[in-house]
Amino acid sequence: MHPLPPSAHPQGPCLKVSDLARRYPPATVFEGVSLEVRSGECVAVLGESGVGKSTLLNCLAGLDTPDAGRVTLAGRTWSTMNDTEASAWRRTHLGFVFQAFHVLPHLTVARNVGLPLMLLGQPDDDRVEQALASVGLGGMGNRLPQTLSGGQLQRVAIARALIHRPRLILADEPTGNLDPHTAEQVLTVLQHQATSHGAALVIVTHSPSVASRADRRLVLTPSGVEWLP
Amino acid sequence: MTAALGRLWRLWWAFSWPEVRHHPWRHGVAVLAVMLGVGLALSVHWINASALAEFSSAVRSANGEPDAQLRHATDRLDDRWWDRVATDPAVQAASPVLEAQAMTWTANGQRQSVRLWGVDALTLASVQPGLMPRLMEDAGRLDLFAADAVFLNPAAQALFADGPVNVQVGMERVALRRAGTVGQAGGPLLVMDVGALQHLLGLDGLISRVDLRLRAGTDTRALIAQWRAQAATNGQWQAEAVMLVLPDDGGARLSQVSRAYRVNLTVLALVALFTGAFLVFSVLSLSVTQRLPGMALLGVLGLDARDRQRLVWLESVLLGAVGSLLGVALGTALAWSALRWLGGDLGGGFFDGVSPRLQWRTIDAVGYTTLGVAAAVLGGWWPARWVRGMAPAQALKGVPLRGAGLVSASPRGGALWAGPLLLLVGAGLSLLPPVHGLPLGAYLGIAALLVGGILTLPLIAGLALPACSDRLHTQALALLAVERARRFPDAVAVATSGVVASLALSVALTVMVGSFRQSMTAWLDAVLPADLYVRAGAGPQQAAILTPAFIREVQAMPAVVSAVPQRQRSVWLDPRQPAITLLARPLRSASDPSMPVLLPLVGPALAWPASPDAVPIFVSEAVADRFDARPGRTLALPGIGPPEVRFQVVGVMRDYGRQHGSIAIDEQDYLRLTGDTAVNDLALSLQPGVSAEALRTELLRAHGDTIEVTSAQTIRRLSLDIFDRSFAITVWLQGVAIGMGLLGVSASMGAQVLARRREFGLLRHLGFSRQQLLRLVAAEGGVWSALGALAGVGLGLAVSVVLVHVVNPQSFHWTMDMHIPWDRVIWLALSVVAAGTLTAWVSGRHAASQQAVLVVKQEA
Repeated sequence: MHPLPPSAHPQGPCLKVSDLARRYPPATVFEGVSLEVRSGECVAVLGESGVGKSTLLNCLAGLDTPDAGRVTLAGRTWSTMNDTEASAWRRTHLGFVFQAFHVLPHLTVARNVGLPLMLLGQPDDDRVEQALASVGLGGMGNRLPQTLSGGQLQRVAIARALIHRPRLILADEPTGNLDPHTAEQVLTVLQHQATSHGAALVIVTHSPSVASRADRRLVLTPSGVEWLP
Repeated sequence: MTAALGRLWRLWWAFSWPEVRHHPWRHGVAVLAVMLGVGLALSVHWINASALAEFSSAVRSANGEPDAQLRHATDRLDDRWWDRVATDPAVQAASPVLEAQAMTWTANGQRQSVRLWGVDALTLASVQPGLMPRLMEDAGRLDLFAADAVFLNPAAQALFADGPVNVQVGMERVALRRAGTVGQAGGPLLVMDVGALQHLLGLDGLISRVDLRLRAGTDTRALIAQWRAQAATNGQWQAEAVMLVLPDDGGARLSQVSRAYRVNLTVLALVALFTGAFLVFSVLSLSVTQRLPGMALLGVLGLDARDRQRLVWLESVLLGAVGSLLGVALGTALAWSALRWLGGDLGGGFFDGVSPRLQWRTIDAVGYTTLGVAAAVLGGWWPARWVRGMAPAQALKGVPLRGAGLVSASPRGGALWAGPLLLLVGAGLSLLPPVHGLPLGAYLGIAALLVGGILTLPLIAGLALPACSDRLHTQALALLAVERARRFPDAVAVATSGVVASLALSVALTVMVGSFRQSMTAWLDAVLPADLYVRAGAGPQQAAILTPAFIREVQAMPAVVSAVPQRQRSVWLDPRQPAITLLARPLRSASDPSMPVLLPLVGPALAWPASPDAVPIFVSEAVADRFDARPGRTLALPGIGPPEVRFQVVGVMRDYGRQHGSIAIDEQDYLRLTGDTAVNDLALSLQPGVSAEALRTELLRAHGDTIEVTSAQTIRRLSLDIFDRSFAITVWLQGVAIGMGLLGVSASMGAQVLARRREFGLLRHLGFSRQQLLRLVAAEGGVWSALGALAGVGLGLAVSVVLVHVVNPQSFHWTMDMHIPWDRVIWLALSVVAAGTLTAWVSGRHAASQQAVLVVKQEA
């Protein structure tokens, strides 16, 4: 595996969350969530089912509007941006990895990986090939997703999340659909690429082994976050 | 069996009914499609059937139910035949009738042509009591035979004011005294004594028919043969031209000649049902694909493949049944309304003036309901097969990336070539000859072409789209749209099948109507070479004709270069077929009498025959087809000249004005053979610089309102107006078909958007704004619609070739030149693309909503 070229991201907090709350009246999903994530850092988010981990990720990504608090990514606060600005900011500074891979079936592997670059108006086939090689899928760019295994698909998703060198990668149960051995490999690739890339990584997981590999771990509760030692 | 049905019904209730309730709009579209198809087809069928029944009833009523009628091929029978047959032992009673058309002046001063019949009151009562004149209170009994007494039927009474009725004979206005009434129903009819009418019209010794009451068991075929033989032996009265016509022949003839028109219109109406079948296919295939995991679960739980298939069939049957029942209601309402407000004529001109009542028949309703259910089952056939063929374990495992809404189980490989194969079969079927005068092979060929074209769509998409995709590698939105269509061409075919079918048929009809209109225009240019046309009245039996004095007067006018006369007569070549029109006019070129004048010929004309015994004639395409009268053949025209005269067909001409056919003969030949000097029309060519309008005004001023003078431009305009009115219903049916096709695209796009929520959610995560998502969905709708439009136009042009070169000649016996109105075709295609894009955009609003973000996690 070859690491992606290091990014020029400045060290320091790239994500800052202040007193965040999300409610679906009459229920409160969570409130009082505050945290900071530095570039190159890996933070694991734990919590019981239904506590709002995915909702928190959506708020972090500017895809859900919190009822209170603010989220600042790379110096800009989501609540100050309209949909067009937020979309542009997201496509520049965020990468996603999902439990269910979410690779588009009608695009080749290379086009799936290159999609963020295309959205930025900077298609780059060499970079795509390099990204595929970096996740161990070199030479597989012309294949259709249907021909890949689950582990390979998640590697495609990782390459896609990193191809445009984002400041922050949000991973929602990235190994949830994989067997333990494949999950270990995929997680290694994800962390390695994110670290070498200088991107912050926030992983939502139920798995203690995944959480144990993070730099910091927090548990999301309805009343806020609890940092684990 | 009952237990199996009960189990299937419970399964439908538990598994399918919630799906219907969850997507009522989508299923409603399928029901609407079937409803419109059944409703339109049934209403057209009932309107035509009601009009035909009314017409037949009117014919029976007019004929007074005699057992038979003795007629002459030229509609003018020597009245000595009456004396001859009345004394025949086989005849119980015989009554003569002289039929004519006469121009009259109605209460509001309008000129109107009405029927003017002469009857014999002494013999009438026993043969046709409905025609028996009833005297007014102040009239004397001898008025039944008076030369100036006329009796009016109810329609004529409503038309004319009190006092005498003025009719035009020649170019004279003759006042007839109102002496009573006749009970005859139908259009306006004036009745007077047959002898008086003969004298009035200068037709002494001639009648139109003898109505006969025959003794029981008389063989009519043997009887006419016997009469002909006796008359021929005696050298009497053109025996070969006399025919015995049975009373039902009038309705049967109309039924026969209008059958192709009625079948064509019904087929056109069934297009909506055909499109509906595609819509059911589209809706059910998407619905089934979305429910594949549920179907798979049922499979794992023990529902076998055959029952899964039956479940989808049951869904199709129920959709079809509900749609069909609603369609019967719609068809009843449409037919009732059309008959009430528009009469019975849907544009063909066969039932003009008929005001029928709706003939509602249970068997028709049941038949069309069955047809609607069959269309729905046809639409559900492939989805049912897919469900039967799926592997439940794999489907339940949810093989990644086979998202709902994709037709992953659609036929591939060898089945991919079924489309091109069907196209070839369609082309072959279209070349078959007609069956009983109907282009059944061509209809089947068109259906095969449409189905084959739609099945070929994936093949075309697979071949054409990679090149587009390569060019778009920097355009994310366009690339996503094109790649999806490229990778899942089956889904494109499913979604656009309705619009492809409807657009193809609309393009085909547009081209056919455009070709017809263009050919009609060219024909009008050819047959209207003069500046002005003068006539006293319309119709071959018209009492109002142009007199020799008037013709001489016009020919002597300094402004007139030439005044070409034309005589029109009816000729019966076969009593079981409608009469054709004989046109006597100058056919020899003035500069070279051995050459014919310019006619709108179809194909080359033969050289003018040298033998004086062979009279050259030109026949219209209808006559050429119906009587196999090709150039070089000879034809018998009973009643025109002595029996030994041969009429040689030297050319076939177009005649869009006379659907039953016409024969053109040179006026000199006609005069020589018949001695008939009457003239119906004059075609006036004017000196350069002379105002046609000024001359028209001058002629009208000199001859009052006994003539009609019309410019060529006006006739042309009126003819094209009538043409456009005739095809108005076609345009409406096209609109319905296109609308249903677009509904199909809309339903498909809505289902696709629903099925691809996770994909749209992912794109939002990747940085797509709501606007970009909307644009993506709209672009996909555009790409799909464009593919559908491309296929629809291509197929439509192929089908139009069949319509122009096969269906029309086989149905109506006229040909036309192919003319593609590109502007209208392109407009149609662009409209479909625009509407498809718009409906996709509307559906895409859901994709861009906040829920799309959340389902990324929810449906993982």
